[in-house]
Amino acid sequence: MGSLPTAPLARWASQNRTLGFILVAIVVLMSTLNPQRFPTLGNFISMSYQLPIIAFLSLGMMVTMLAGGINLAIVATANFTGIVTVLVLHALVGEAADEAPLIVSLLAMAGGLAAALAVGAVMGYLIAYVEVPAILATLAVMTLLNGVNVVVTRGYTLSGFPDFLLAIGNGTLSIVPIPFLLFIAVAILLGLFLTRTRTGLGLFLLGSNPVAARYSNIDVRAVLMRVYVLSAAFSALTAFVMMGQLNSVKANYAESYLLVSVLACFLGGVDPFGGAGTLSGMVLAVVILQLVSTGVNLLRADPFFVQAMWGFIILVLVAANFLGARVSELRRLRAARLSTRAEDEPPGQA
Amino acid sequence: MLKRLLKQNESYLAMLIVLLCVGITIVNPAFFTFENLAGFLKSYSMVGIMAVGTLFVLILGGTPDVSFTAIAQVVEYAIAVVTLRHGGNIYTVFLLAAVLGAAMGLVNGLVIHLFRVPTIIVTIATFNIYFGMLYVITAGKLINSVNPLFRGFGNYLLFPRTSPIGGTYGLALMPLLWLLTLLVGWFILRRTFLGRSVCAMGGNETAAERLGIRTMQTRLFVFGFVGLLSGVAAVVHLSIVTAVVPNIIVGHELEVIAAVVIGGASVFGGKGTLTGTFLGVLLFAILNNGLTLLGFSSYWYNVAIGVVITAAITISAYQQLRHQRNRLNVRVEP
Amino acid sequence: MEEFLRLEHIRKSFVGVQALKGVNLSLRKGEIHCLVGENGSGKSTLIKIISGVLQPDSGEIRIEGAPVGHLGSAAQTGRGVQVIYQDLSLFPNLTVAENIALAELKSRQSGLIRWAEVRRIARAAMARIKVEIDLDAEVGELPIGLQQLVAICRALTSELRLLILDEPTASLPKHDIDNLLAVVRDLQRHGIAVLFVSHKLNEVFAVAERITVLRDGESVATLPSAELTDEKLVELMTGQAIQHSRFAYAKERGRPLLGVRGLSKRRNFENVSFELCAGEIVGLTGLIGSGRTELALSLFGVSPAERGEILVEGNPVRIRSVKDAVRAGIAYVPENRLVQGLVMKRSVVENATAAVLDRLLSRLRLVDPEKKEKVATEWIRRLGIRVAHPDVAVQTLSGGNQQRVVLAKWLAAEPRILILDGPTVGIDVLAKSAIHGLVRELAGRGMGVLLITDEIPEALSNCNRILLMRAGRIRGEIPTVGLEPEELQKRVEARA
Repeated sequence: MGSLPTAPLARWASQNRTLGFILVAIVVLMSTLNPQRFPTLGNFISMSYQLPIIAFLSLGMMVTMLAGGINLAIVATANFTGIVTVLVLHALVGEAADEAPLIVSLLAMAGGLAAALAVGAVMGYLIAYVEVPAILATLAVMTLLNGVNVVVTRGYTLSGFPDFLLAIGNGTLSIVPIPFLLFIAVAILLGLFLTRTRTGLGLFLLGSNPVAARYSNIDVRAVLMRVYVLSAAFSALTAFVMMGQLNSVKANYAESYLLVSVLACFLGGVDPFGGAGTLSGMVLAVVILQLVSTGVNLLRADPFFVQAMWGFIILVLVAANFLGARVSELRRLRAARLSTRAEDEPPGQA
Repeated sequence: MLKRLLKQNESYLAMLIVLLCVGITIVNPAFFTFENLAGFLKSYSMVGIMAVGTLFVLILGGTPDVSFTAIAQVVEYAIAVVTLRHGGNIYTVFLLAAVLGAAMGLVNGLVIHLFRVPTIIVTIATFNIYFGMLYVITAGKLINSVNPLFRGFGNYLLFPRTSPIGGTYGLALMPLLWLLTLLVGWFILRRTFLGRSVCAMGGNETAAERLGIRTMQTRLFVFGFVGLLSGVAAVVHLSIVTAVVPNIIVGHELEVIAAVVIGGASVFGGKGTLTGTFLGVLLFAILNNGLTLLGFSSYWYNVAIGVVITAAITISAYQQLRHQRNRLNVRVEP
Repeated sequence: MEEFLRLEHIRKSFVGVQALKGVNLSLRKGEIHCLVGENGSGKSTLIKIISGVLQPDSGEIRIEGAPVGHLGSAAQTGRGVQVIYQDLSLFPNLTVAENIALAELKSRQSGLIRWAEVRRIARAAMARIKVEIDLDAEVGELPIGLQQLVAICRALTSELRLLILDEPTASLPKHDIDNLLAVVRDLQRHGIAVLFVSHKLNEVFAVAERITVLRDGESVATLPSAELTDEKLVELMTGQAIQHSRFAYAKERGRPLLGVRGLSKRRNFENVSFELCAGEIVGLTGLIGSGRTELALSLFGVSPAERGEILVEGNPVRIRSVKDAVRAGIAYVPENRLVQGLVMKRSVVENATAAVLDRLLSRLRLVDPEKKEKVATEWIRRLGIRVAHPDVAVQTLSGGNQQRVVLAKWLAAEPRILILDGPTVGIDVLAKSAIHGLVRELAGRGMGVLLITDEIPEALSNCNRILLMRAGRIRGEIPTVGLEPEELQKRVEARA
């Protein structure tokens, strides 16, 4: 027996209540700590440039977690995409790539995207068809890619990109940053994917119970494969935005973002065991994390301190999750005691 | 008996290692010399010791601990600083390292058990906390000179010989320490109730609880043990390098975990042997050394491990699939 | 014979539910006693109280005449009471020897392990019931019958006086059931009492001396098994006499919907051929391990066959995947509802529409949420699924309602051929007949139903013919007209 408010907007509001409070609390906190610089338009615009990086990585992680897996290679794939894009760029127009025409940029990006999708396909194949556990498969791919990235770049930073490429990370449409628009568009599409496509709907069932999903005419292997390819696509998106903002590509950028993307999924309510999670939760979580990140940066905090802080936040979340589950369990028991009419049979057992 | 031997993962691993050794020696005979072998055994002792601890974590419950390198890093720094200020001998150093490492590991164990969260998530968190705070406190400074006791320990050689160019080489104490750790690990795992409890919990934790096995204590032991061994590994590392670079140990997690997995430990928990763990580390040591001797730049090492891991897990998963398909479902009779 | 265990007026309630309302039970030393009751009658609660896992709210428990105070499972084990649950609580990654000996080692508080001692303990336990299992085999690799024997051996390592077996034969093939029953009688000879919890009436009668019936948390009767019949027992269990009406098949055979010719799959089944016509309910029965479910899974595409032909409405079809099967009009309602049939944490709507997402598309090839909602609510209504709101998780539903959701999922796919595998297992008698009624209605409308079942009464009253399967082959086909249950039982258990 469950009691759910039936109006969809009301339901959305109640499910995301906690995150909403946290969001507001963080904004207040950061504004108090940094009254001159945090609550300014300039700052919010700056945050909206950076948000998509965390966001795309987190969304890419989210889809694999929904399927009951994980993608440890998400950052490595992004770096790999960047490197391949640059390689194609240099192959087409040599070292002086800043003046390259649009078509070249597009071709280079296509190359990078193709590389990412190939990685996703390999991971998907290992996980869906060979049935390697996701942790292992993505760990292996991550190691491999990290190695390849270093070998190809020899540790150097590559830079010098054409304007079109830079615009993706850096440009604006009137005052709205392009990456932010990209993020909005992608979020909407992902939302549609998760709630209205067969793969998306099948994903939730698969993540929760792969056996039953298979027995329910869901092509489990195809869904898993698509999920990992999709996740890699998100890595590629991240790469393009990062390239635009940093104007460079390196073998091991954003290593700490792997942690942050896992954290975002946790905060956003994705069940690490699979089968549950909402896009709205993720969006709120990502915004919160970006606010925290920027706020802390403005305080000139030691970046390593920030790293330790992320770790600490995970532990706090873990504890909160656990306690929260305990509390709702107690609440449920109390409600059952109060209910007068019992069901015709007790909850189904084997 | 032979059949059972063939079925074991370790046999294939051993064969692969032999093949590799033969192959490398053919190309570069310098591989199979006492100096070279003693050399890479010494440099891989740290990884080897940490692998023993990781084995226990994997047996207990499948998902790996990734914070042990951060623990080792912190301990290394701590003992370097302490011995610079207060002196000491190698025994007190080991004791301090073990205690400190164990304490940090226990934190992991406590959180994982109390809040029932997957190991990997908690250890990702503690990794970042330990590592981040280390950098904050030390500001990333190197320590270039350490208490000479470390050099003394590191350079102590058994069977010393002089090489043609005048240096001395021999068997260092580190590989022996590694061997000791393997033996201790084996003893605990196979000969004590505690070790069997770890295996039992890895196989079926609810049944273990029903049996009366103290799950919290066992879990705390495992994570404390990993921490302790990481501390010991830190001393070993410091004795070899005689300098502290705050981010040099970190990054080896993959290697260690992969070595243990290749050695036969299951990611679902409940299975794994010390022999396999040893062979796994040995494989990576030989790979690394081989690549260097064959003239590849060190950058290729990561690629090599990646390929090896990918191949190993693919083969292992494929075997599992085949095994499932060939299971006897129905005894069909005429 | 003296009394070993006595329970008087045991009451136990959980939050909001009175599980036991005053249960009396007495067990003699060395007796084989069966505890039967429907789901929800309080069997598992009672078992947990006897074994010390739960404490009763009131009532008295006496062991060998002496009242037992505050119980705990360790204390009860000390008194010789042990339970083997359905999941066996074994360690699949450890060897047979270790599994058997571990409990004993734990109670000895020994820090160090001597393997010679471990083997000795294991061998001694096995010798007591005269079984021999390879000590070094990994328990996870053993067939389930042997695993159960390992579990019993483990119970024997301590001073055992009462062994409680919770639904032990639920997933055992016949050969192993006989073995188990022989072991149980052997235990009796050692003076060990055995409390069997089961709902498989024929086994209950085969081995029990006395039977206690639980209904709604009360012990309604304790009688010698000789004084009970199947019907009487069912009546006591449910409180009402259920009329078994027989399915009346239409006079003329409809057109053949499913034709199977020489279907084979190594280690699963061999040379299976039969036909299923419209309007028929054909039973497929046989002991567990005969290959029935394997056959069904091949027809459904989960585990495709290697040789042979499958024809749907006369046309040969290739079934290599679930999608192929569904496209051919075949649906399968699985044995294990909880694991294979439903995704527990997801909603009724999601589960009910899972199989037909292809048919709910709007333009842009996206699933139309309105259509989805409509399909779900329609089937909720048609099948009488009692649920407050279609978006609640299915795990909150009762067993009978959950099974209806599984049915809804497949009926929404409008199959021509419906394969039901143990559809009423673990569902109480009233809900059972409701589901039977539903199935008959579907057949009446022209569907072909293949009913895989263990329960003789269910087969007899619902099927117009029965296929007997044993050891991977179809051994015979019997029309149910005029067939008596004992006759069918005999033919099912026949060796030849």
